[in-house]
Amino acid sequence: MKPKLTFLLTLAICCGTLSAQETTGALEFQFGERAVVAPRFGTKVEVVPVLELVGAEVTYSQAAGAWGVVLGEHVLQFATGHKVLLVDGTLHEAGEAPVPSPGGVAASLPYVERFLLSPLGLRLEPIAGGYRIEHGARFADPVTIRPAVADFGTTTTLVLTLSRAAAVTAVEGPGGTVEVRFADAAPQLDTSAPFRSRRVRSITRHDAELSIQLASGIGLLSWRSLDDPPRLTLELGPARPTPVPAPVQTLPLGDSGPRPIVLDPGHGGDDVGARSRDGLVEKELTLALARRVARALEARGYRVRLTRDDDQTRALTDRTALANRLDALLFVSLHANASTAPSVTGAETYYMSLDGPSDAAAAATAELENRAGQTAGEPTALDLILWDLAQAEVLNESAELALAVQGRLNALAGTRDRGVRQAPFVVLTGATMPAVLVEFGFLSNPDEARRLAEPEHQQQVAEAIAAGIEDFVGR
Amino acid sequence: MHRRAALIALAAVAAIAVLVWLASSGGPRAPQPQAALTEQAPTPTPAPEQRIMLLFAGGDGLLHPELRSVPLPAEVDERIRVVLRELLAGPGAASRLAPVVPYAASLEAVFIDEQGNAFVDLSAPPEPLAGSSTELLLAYGVVDSIILNCPEVKAVQILFGGREVATLAGHLDLSRPLALNKRFIAGS
Ligand SMILES: [Zn+2]
Repeated sequence: MKPKLTFLLTLAICCGTLSAQETTGALEFQFGERAVVAPRFGTKVEVVPVLELVGAEVTYSQAAGAWGVVLGEHVLQFATGHKVLLVDGTLHEAGEAPVPSPGGVAASLPYVERFLLSPLGLRLEPIAGGYRIEHGARFADPVTIRPAVADFGTTTTLVLTLSRAAAVTAVEGPGGTVEVRFADAAPQLDTSAPFRSRRVRSITRHDAELSIQLASGIGLLSWRSLDDPPRLTLELGPARPTPVPAPVQTLPLGDSGPRPIVLDPGHGGDDVGARSRDGLVEKELTLALARRVARALEARGYRVRLTRDDDQTRALTDRTALANRLDALLFVSLHANASTAPSVTGAETYYMSLDGPSDAAAAATAELENRAGQTAGEPTALDLILWDLAQAEVLNESAELALAVQGRLNALAGTRDRGVRQAPFVVLTGATMPAVLVEFGFLSNPDEARRLAEPEHQQQVAEAIAAGIEDFVGR
Repeated sequence: MHRRAALIALAAVAAIAVLVWLASSGGPRAPQPQAALTEQAPTPTPAPEQRIMLLFAGGDGLLHPELRSVPLPAEVDERIRVVLRELLAGPGAASRLAPVVPYAASLEAVFIDEQGNAFVDLSAPPEPLAGSSTELLLAYGVVDSIILNCPEVKAVQILFGGREVATLAGHLDLSRPLALNKRFIAGS
C-alpha cells in the first residue's frame, strides 16, 4: 500500500464515524416533569428529542441543508458536517460538527450543552443513566472577537472588538507572545477581516485564551479595556529591556527629554487659508501665533515642537503623524476662521467627532477593501477606522483639553465664546494623544481681523492658549 | 491533524461570514451614477406637495431651518434632487439667512448605494473656499438637509466637479460619507 493511501485511511479511522448509524445504547434526559430517551452513538447523542423535550421547535430546511431551532427569542442554525453554527445570528466556531443520524442529527454531549442548550439558558446535570436539564446556562454566551491592527511609526495598535462585554486580561506570554485571557467566556475568533501588520504575526485561540504572536523584539507596552463597543486595545512596540537594578544616581533623561507638546500652525505654502479684507492671511497669522504659544509654553518649562516653522505646504496627515512619531503629550492645531457672514465673530475649540459613516457601512467598506487586497503603505478604510479609534481612546481627554483652552480664551476681553464643538477634522484624525483645533477668531469680520493683526492681542491669545494647555496638563 | 482541522474550520468560518455579508449587503457592487435630472423633465403624475426642512446659514455662523412646501417624489434619489435644488436656490426672499453653498453651484449627479450612502456631485467652487466655518456649514447644510428629509439616507458624501475631495478648505474630512450632525443647527 502506498504511504499516502495508508495515511488517508488512518485519517479516516482516527476521525471516527462520519455519520451515526449504530446505536450504542441510550441516555435518558429529564426536563421538569417530562423525560425522553435519546439513542446514543458512541460519544454522540440524538439531538432532536433533547431539543423538543425543552419545548424548542426543531425544523430541517432541505433547501439550506440546515437545522433550525427556535425557542422564545432564540434561534439556532447548524448543519451536519459543519463546525460552525449561528446562535441568534452570530457565527460561532464549535470545533466539531454534528453528524447525520437515523433521527436526523447527532452531536456530542459537550456540543449539545455548550452550543445548543447554553444559548437557550439551560445546562446538563448528570443523573443515573442520563442527564437532567436544568435552567441556568453553564457556559456564558460565547464572545466573538474581531481583531484589527494599525501600524504606526514605532508602535502598533491592536484593537480586539468583543461581541459583548467580558472579563478579560492581557499578559506577556512566553516566546514573544501576548496571552489574552477570558475569565467567563469562550472566545471565538472572527477571521473574516484579515489584517496586515509588521508587528503582529498571528492570532490563535486555545480554549479560553487568545495567543498573539508578535514579531521578534516586539512586546506589550500597555493594554486597556474599553466600553461601547466593548473592546481591548493593546499597544505593541519595541520590547522593554529587562529592568536592571536602580542606579545610585538618577541618570539624566538625555536626548529623549519629556514628551513634547506639538503645535500645528494651520495651512502654509500653497494653502493660504482664510484672508481678511485688509490682506491678513491665515497661514501667516497661525505661524505667528504658534511661535508665541511655543515661547509661552517653553517659559513654563514645556518642550514644544511645531509641525512647520516656515511658510511650507504640509499635508494634514503628516502633521498628525509627526505628533504620533514624537509621542507628543498633546496636539494643538491653530486656525483663524472665515464665514460668508461678516457679522460672525468669536473663538471656538474643536475636538474630534467620531460620527462619520454608519458602522455597518464602514465595516463593509473595510471588508471589501481588505478582500480586494490593498497596496502596502496606502491607508485603507480599515486603517482610517482604526485611526478614529486611536483618537477615540483619548476622546474624553481631548474634550477636557478643549474645555480648558476655550475657558481661557473666553476670559479674554472682547472675545465672543462660540464654545467647544466636535467635528471630523482631518488633522485630528488618528492622533494618539489628546488633540484639539483652536479657531481663535474670524478674519472675515473686519473688526476682529484688525484686532488679530495687533501684536499685543496676538500675545494675549497665545498666553490664553498656553494657560489652557497648562490647566489641562496640571489638572 | 489538529492544525489541519483548525484550517478547515477557519475556511468554513470565512466562507460563511462572506456569504452572510454578501447576503446582507447585496454584493460588492460599485454604485452606478445616474443621469442628472433636467429642470424641464416632465413628471407624468404630479408628486404630492409636502413640507421639507432646509438649512441655511445665519448671521451667527450656525444653520437655521426654513420650511417650504414642494412636490416630493417617492423615489429617494428624486427626493434628494428636489431637496438639493431647493437648497441651492437659497433661502426665501424675505429671509435674513444665506445659502450654505456660497457660490452658484449646480447639482451634477445623485446616486445612492445599498448601504444607504448618498453621493451628491456639486459643481466645483470657482475659487478655493476658506474657513472651517464655511466648510462646516456647507457640508452639514447639505448633509443634514438631505437626511432630515430622506430618512432612508444614512450618510452623504459630497463630491465636487465629479471628484472625491479630502477636504474643501483644509479642515473637515470629506473623503467619507458624513452622518447627520445637528451640532451646527442653531438651538440644538
Ligand atoms: Zn484654517
